[in-house]
Amino acid sequence: MDTYYLMQVINGLSVGMIYALIAIGFTLIFGVLNVVNFAHGEMYTLGAFAGLVCINAFGSPLAIVILVALAGGAIAGIGLERIAFKPFRRFQDEASLKSRAMREATLLSSLAVSIIIKELIQHFFGAEMQTIPGQYLLNNPIPVGPLSLSSGQFLILGSSILMLGGLQYVLYHTRTGLSIRAISNNPLGAKYVGLSVDKTIIATFAVGSMLGGAAGIMVGLYYGAIFPSMGFAPSIKAFVAMVMGGLSSIPGAVICALILGVCEALATNYLTQGWSDMVAYSFLIITLIFFPQGIFGARRERV
Amino acid sequence: MNMKKVLVAAVTLAAMLMASVAQADKVIKLGYTLPLTGSHAQYGELFRNSAKMQLEEFNKSGKLKGATVEIQFEDSKSDPKEAINIARKFVDDEQIVGVLGDFTSTVSMACGRVYAMEGMPQLSQTASHPDFTKVGKYQFRNITTQAFEGPFVAKWAKSLDFSKFAIIAIQNDWGISAAENFAEAIKGLGGEVTGIEYFNPGNRDFRSILTKVVREKPQAIYLCMMYEEGAMVLQQRHQLGIDVPVFGTSSLYSPKLLELAGDAANGMYLSTTFMPDSPEEHVVHFVTEYEKRYNSAPSMFAAQAYDAVGIMLDAVAKVGPEVTRDSLRDALAATKDYPGVTGSTTFDPETREPVKGLARMQVVNGAYKLVK
Repeated sequence: MDTYYLMQVINGLSVGMIYALIAIGFTLIFGVLNVVNFAHGEMYTLGAFAGLVCINAFGSPLAIVILVALAGGAIAGIGLERIAFKPFRRFQDEASLKSRAMREATLLSSLAVSIIIKELIQHFFGAEMQTIPGQYLLNNPIPVGPLSLSSGQFLILGSSILMLGGLQYVLYHTRTGLSIRAISNNPLGAKYVGLSVDKTIIATFAVGSMLGGAAGIMVGLYYGAIFPSMGFAPSIKAFVAMVMGGLSSIPGAVICALILGVCEALATNYLTQGWSDMVAYSFLIITLIFFPQGIFGARRERV
Repeated sequence: MNMKKVLVAAVTLAAMLMASVAQADKVIKLGYTLPLTGSHAQYGELFRNSAKMQLEEFNKSGKLKGATVEIQFEDSKSDPKEAINIARKFVDDEQIVGVLGDFTSTVSMACGRVYAMEGMPQLSQTASHPDFTKVGKYQFRNITTQAFEGPFVAKWAKSLDFSKFAIIAIQNDWGISAAENFAEAIKGLGGEVTGIEYFNPGNRDFRSILTKVVREKPQAIYLCMMYEEGAMVLQQRHQLGIDVPVFGTSSLYSPKLLELAGDAANGMYLSTTFMPDSPEEHVVHFVTEYEKRYNSAPSMFAAQAYDAVGIMLDAVAKVGPEVTRDSLRDALAATKDYPGVTGSTTFDPETREPVKGLARMQVVNGAYKLVK
């Protein structure tokens, strides 16, 4: 086989990994709240900008920058929950929890917060792409035989595996994880057995947005492109991956994100890149028609 | 009674004639529609600065005997409706013989219809849409379209022995015309195009495109895009370890590109119309004078307007004090080798498109350097 296709698969995997990083946080929050968090792309942007400020102000080493982005994402997530989600959970009775209106309200409030965050960043930093000091760029070529990989690809791959593993550990081996899963399975039941729904939701937002923020800074340094609207395009793809994966299955979202990335990269061979968004949208349509529960979903009843 | 009336008329006429003789010079007026408020105000400001400077220099130079020129600035807010109202106002003012502006192609074309209908020559400093000069035979512009830039870079590349090109272009009107004009030119010179890859505006990942284009082993890659995407392509090209040389359109000329792409930009070839640090005498004069007056370095846009006004004034001077709209149009169409700060300009008398001298530039050690 031509190394060309192998190279395209690698390009695709590295793009897919980025979608996956975002999709993990997306899926986690959807799983618990059963609503799409439209501001997730902005958590990614905020993480990137938090890291950038840390680079420009202190010149900290990369590990610290990523930690700052993680913290920035977590704080932003908690704030987001407070502003856009909590006000709509005032009523905890069964009718309100099942009400569509409540869910749609949070959908719109998260969209509003996402617009406000984007505009604020643009106000303070300007709409242009930010300049990143050269030594921080995760762009060093690493030749492997005839292939050319880069330091960023290894970092993104490594941290995705780490995050996914860590998340699975938290979900299946800790009390917080247990309550997250309980609430995601049956919020009313969880509430009746005495779990604190509010605390768990806040924890979910903190964890999901933390992962989003870390993704933001890593992708920002990998592409060398940090700008206010950077979250939009990848979060659409992450959303498609989440739907394909069955809405609340984290491994499903990751696998679908990778499939999406590889298919987009290979499609470049047959279509111009201008058409590659079509790949994502046709996957979305095919999934909705043939697998309404998602490819890896269909295991639980929705609230 | 009758005699008296005639006498009064004659006396009045004589008085008027005397007055106009006493008033040493005739005044010729030009209009300038430009955005002075609104979202493009920063550009309009530059145009007005340059126009004032050029006009003052012209009136002092004495190139036009027996008349002085004035420019009436009107704020179009970069809004086609405003520009059309201004156009009607200019057309109705019989003293105005020619119009400069507007800034964007959209606005220039909207008000251009009025000027074309009423026979008013219009010269835009920046409207680069291919259809602008097709609005009517009164439209001129002082900016190269891709129909000139593509062949220019193609010839240059050919002289450096690059003839097998891959093209990466942004998928919009401008990008498509840039890619096609270059492809045609390079084929015309006996070269070869291995493929044209278009990408969506907003795309930031060029790895799969780059991997695909180098598969055909081109000798060089031609980039038709804005500097932000250009910086991404250059970086990802470096990361993929591709060492195929890169040529680009003049839109890649921005200090921000060097900041974003860093070392990965080194070696890129591109064409340019304006280089502030060019050693040519008139460019040095423009840059120092502009800095002295307005406390800021002139950008490419300021230079474009400086030359547009210069070309217009030159045409007025050629016709002389008795200039009319039609004679000014013909004089503009006959513009040949106008020595501007954005290179020498000649209008094709038929298409009214500018044939401009472009300069060659290469990024060396993280800075744009003119290539002799």
